Amino acid sequence: MSKSANIAAAGHALWANTPKVNTELFALTYGSLITEILRDYDQDISEVNVQLERIGHSIGVRCVDELLAKSEVNGINIPMCRDLRETAEVIAKIGFRMFLGVNCDVGKLTDKSFSLYLSENPLNIFVELPSMSEDEGGSGPDWNQLKYSNIYCGVIRGALEQVNLKVECSFVRDVLRGDEVNEIRVNVKEVLAEGAGEDYHEE
Amino acid sequence: MAFLDLFIVNKSGGLIHHRSLSEKAPQIGTNEWLRIGSTFHSLHAIAAEASPVRGKIDDGIELIESEGLVLCCFQTRTGIKFVLTAEPGTGYLQKVLKEIYVAYTDCALKDPFYELEMPIRCELFTQAVNDVMSRFGNR
Repeated sequence: MSKSANIAAAGHALWANTPKVNTELFALTYGSLITEILRDYDQDISEVNVQLERIGHSIGVRCVDELLAKSEVNGINIPMCRDLRETAEVIAKIGFRMFLGVNCDVGKLTDKSFSLYLSENPLNIFVELPSMSEDEGGSGPDWNQLKYSNIYCGVIRGALEQVNLKVECSFVRDVLRGDEVNEIRVNVKEVLAEGAGEDYHEE
Repeated sequence: MAFLDLFIVNKSGGLIHHRSLSEKAPQIGTNEWLRIGSTFHSLHAIAAEASPVRGKIDDGIELIESEGLVLCCFQTRTGIKFVLTAEPGTGYLQKVLKEIYVAYTDCALKDPFYELEMPIRCELFTQAVNDVMSRFGNR
């Protein structure tokens, strides 16, 4: 119990030390990014989802170093994760807390996957997905397929890739589509081998 | 008590940054530094394999002390090695390395034109390292 309390406290401490930006500015900037991407890809929703995930990936590979570096200098020791549950806890309690200031919970833990539940999402505070009007029929884009916050999936995938965990991430429940909570499902595909050590193993 | 050189090695063993931190540092050419970087990377890996006590995954060379030199290495969980050489008796080596890691995340990683694993050519990063050096008193 105290270990998770430590992790939560670490998240809060790091959040306190992070420079902040206006939430509205953040949400609106992300919204205009989505609009731009929609325009670039001619409202092809599945392509937009892929691009958001790619953008998230580039962010994630850099975020992980920031999380590790800032916790080192703040005297917070994040021990090497011994199992997936610890990894999930670090992402939820330290990662999401430090970068976004939001509370995130871990659930549905198996030995190869876990879920992250976000009750509040700063990206979609002003967002409503357009509903399909009857006369448009099938010609307009299917807004329900848009994974508005898919960037998070990319961030998690990129971050875990840097620490040798290859994962697949997807949004399974989204508040914008009417569910009560945002749920991200993370599946571990493989644990990549550590760098150079492989070459020097004894035969 | 002076810091002599800083070098940063990426996950695959390539040197991504090198900088001499004082005039007392030896004058070595760039190619030589590239070789030093990759040699150190291999030695780090061999040391981890040769260690009688297998501990954590990020085992490897942490500190080399000799009469004329102290070499301190900090390996991040993402596989990057920050290596600092200094005159014997210099303190705060680990602390300085961690500050340089923070400078790397704030200046090099957040630079939109910086590609991961490539040589670092960021003015902000150089300045940040200068700041760390002056804070830890490079005389």
